[in-house]
Amino acid sequence: MEKVIEITNLTKVYPNGRGIRDINLDIYRGDIFGFLGPNGAGKTTAMKVMTGLIRPGSGDVKIFGYSITAEYEQAMAEVGTIIEIAEYYPYLSAFDNLKQLARYYAKVDYKRIDEVLELTGMLKYKQEKPRKFSLGMKQRLGLAAAILSRPKVIILDEPLNGLDVEGMIDMRNLIKQLAEQDKTTFFISSHLIHDVELTCNRIGVVYDGRLLNVDSTQNILCNYATLENYFVSEVERNGRVPSCSR
Amino acid sequence: MKIQKKTAMLLSFALGTLLLAGTAIADISSQSGYGQLKDSLKLTAAKCSDSYNSFTMDFSTAVTDNGKTVTSSDSVQKYDRAKNAVESVNTSENNGQKSRFYSYMDASTTISQNPSDDIYYVNQYSEPTKRAFFTDPFKSSNSEDIEKIADAVVGGLKDYVVVKDNADGSKELSGTLTEVQIPPLVNAVASLQVKQLFSNPNQTTHITKDIYVKEIKGTALINKDGVLESILGTGILSGKDAQGQVHELTFELLGKLTGINSTAVTKPDLTGKKVVQQVISKPNSGPGISDPQKFVGTFKNDIVSQKDGEFVKAGERIIDITHMDGKTVAGSYHEEYAAGFAANQKPPQDFKFTATLNKGPNQDPQGAEFTVPGTNTKGNIHFDEALGQVYFNINGPSSQAFNSVFNKVFK
Amino acid sequence: MAVFQAALVNEIEKLYKKKKALVAVILTLAIIVIGQLVIVGVRSGFGVRGVGSVEFSMLVLSVVINTILPLFTALIVIDSFSGEFAANSMRITLTRPVSRFKLFSAKLTAVAVFILTALMLLLIFSLLAGFLFNANSASLGDVARIVVAYLMSLLPLFVLALGIALAANILRSGISVFFLAVLGFIVFQGLGMFFTRYSGLLITTELSWYNLWLASTLPLGKIIREFLIMVGYAIILFTAGFYLFDKKEF
Repeated sequence: MEKVIEITNLTKVYPNGRGIRDINLDIYRGDIFGFLGPNGAGKTTAMKVMTGLIRPGSGDVKIFGYSITAEYEQAMAEVGTIIEIAEYYPYLSAFDNLKQLARYYAKVDYKRIDEVLELTGMLKYKQEKPRKFSLGMKQRLGLAAAILSRPKVIILDEPLNGLDVEGMIDMRNLIKQLAEQDKTTFFISSHLIHDVELTCNRIGVVYDGRLLNVDSTQNILCNYATLENYFVSEVERNGRVPSCSR
Repeated sequence: MKIQKKTAMLLSFALGTLLLAGTAIADISSQSGYGQLKDSLKLTAAKCSDSYNSFTMDFSTAVTDNGKTVTSSDSVQKYDRAKNAVESVNTSENNGQKSRFYSYMDASTTISQNPSDDIYYVNQYSEPTKRAFFTDPFKSSNSEDIEKIADAVVGGLKDYVVVKDNADGSKELSGTLTEVQIPPLVNAVASLQVKQLFSNPNQTTHITKDIYVKEIKGTALINKDGVLESILGTGILSGKDAQGQVHELTFELLGKLTGINSTAVTKPDLTGKKVVQQVISKPNSGPGISDPQKFVGTFKNDIVSQKDGEFVKAGERIIDITHMDGKTVAGSYHEEYAAGFAANQKPPQDFKFTATLNKGPNQDPQGAEFTVPGTNTKGNIHFDEALGQVYFNINGPSSQAFNSVFNKVFK
Repeated sequence: MAVFQAALVNEIEKLYKKKKALVAVILTLAIIVIGQLVIVGVRSGFGVRGVGSVEFSMLVLSVVINTILPLFTALIVIDSFSGEFAANSMRITLTRPVSRFKLFSAKLTAVAVFILTALMLLLIFSLLAGFLFNANSASLGDVARIVVAYLMSLLPLFVLALGIALAANILRSGISVFFLAVLGFIVFQGLGMFFTRYSGLLITTELSWYNLWLASTLPLGKIIREFLIMVGYAIILFTAGFYLFDKKEF
């Protein structure tokens, strides 16, 4: 299978001792990879390194074979992403915000902007400025921005943050649809075990900056009653008991 | 790739630093035309005051209005260090009226001639003194501040002075500022000044509006020793008079330094000329008293009071000079009151004094200071030879309403 | 190159859509109106012509180059860097296929475009005002000189922008960058006044380098030296600014 993301020996430790240590991970074409871990486990740090917002301390991330540190433009050419909260220029309309991004891709035209706004249900707010948007609307617009360029890989950091139940369902369906139709690869981080179980087909557990195990959802559910049981046992097996199970 | 980027950054940083440092050194060490002019001025002033034995300085100015001369002046000064002599001729022309002022100075004489008459006024010094020959203006205490201010005003225009190096080592400096190049503020201030100058409606040239500086030009010649030999500045202003007639005013200033070590200053021959002569002990001290003996005698003035809305004579102040020679003076002072005014008396009104005539520099050689006997009260006395009067003052509270002019009492 | 172009168009669009840049331009033009009113006042009040048609443009330039142009340049640069750092909106572009080098360059190029636009608007409107309200004294040569003077003013202002961009990448808050910039500007102006020999090295003095281009006989040596000094500054400031921008974590 085609390797889409290749993470090797990735380490980034902050001065306060937090961060990620020695993460090795391969993501293959068609994966909806769930990056599961409690708050502060290092999920966002890993994803920031993956998208070039932070330089790694050591190790490297390759996307489609291009190093994120050395060949940033090529590496990011087929990537769409939301890190933490989707950000906008508050003084530009939703449409203009997307137009700004569209300029970086030769194949994206205004029609495509309307298309993604339609897909995320934001078309009717096209000319409005995001400063008036609710958090959910902002996340939808963020998703529209992430899928704008028809990326082959989408990296989402806590995509369900701030969404209501309907929004969550929409988001999940959209992810599944894109994965099935366009064979889009997803790398999704979340601390919501149930949600990961429903959405993802491969799961990696990250705890205290280290990647504990990676397995397919199918395999896990064969051996454990729920994903939660698996998570707890993985953490225990590595000598740590979470202060509160989720 | 990563190493490449770092190398590129380092290289470009080094390149930038090199470029900056190299040019900076070149810039600091290179002297602008303005700087060269300044250096030359300082050198010239220093050489004139310290080393040249003789030289001639010639300054002339001219103001023309549409080509017609309004005023002009010319000042030629010859300096001779060996003779300690300075001769100067100032001529000026103002609206067609010419005038000439001549003066000559050496250690023992000053001679001057006014434009109004043909009389030569001669001061002969009894104690010849070496006078300050030519003072270097750059050595005065505030010259540095003035230089800083000048630098700030000139500012970005420093490099407008173009330097042409001649084969013989001399340099020609020139600069032109036209309307666009003159800072608007300078233009406005200069225009306002000129407007004040020509604001009198009785003047032939009287401009009232649309005044502006049209052009400023300058040239200077620096010889191979770095001494400024000549400097010419021209300013052209334009303005309109009340009738709307355009006037182009040209201001010219020319300075020349010639005859270095070859100028001869000769004392003028006054035989057959009208001469008024005075003998003075030394320069800057005014003439002494030529015949002190004639002040011996009585001088007095009236003590005036008021009564019933009228001035009345309340008495007299009387000075008796008993002895006077070129060095000392002795006498007495007293007041005499008429009947009914004795109550107005205030001490001291009756005392004797002796005093030595002033000798020191910058003191009045026709005056003397004394102390009222038995007190700390000081007083002074001054003899006016021309009017035959004595000025007498006693310091302290009694000097209120005190008339210090005393007239000679003739017998 | 296409990516740089896209980044540049984006930055310019942001400048344009943000009201700040627009307000800056309008305020700049207000200077012309105020200046012209002052001139008319001086003329009728004191009888001094003040300025002719072309000198008005030079008067305007001499005033704005030391006041509002550096000020607005500083504000635009601070907004483009510190503002986006603080609002986290830098991430929007950073996660797109555009290298930080191109983004950094595009941001500064956009600033240059802003400066140039402001200068050109000032030039056009001051010339217009000059011709309309002041006695005509212009020759074609004079107008050409003025155009050159305005164009040349871009360089020192851009170097100033690079310096502020560096400060914006060192200091966390935009307000401290602004105060540092203002303080630095005043200190440099003062230094230039007291140490005239070294004033050619100060960027605040170089703001007035357009004067060199007005001279009847171009002081070529000085022009080249000033140019190289500014290029030297530009390379150092750009490299240092980019080094910090490249290392920055978002």
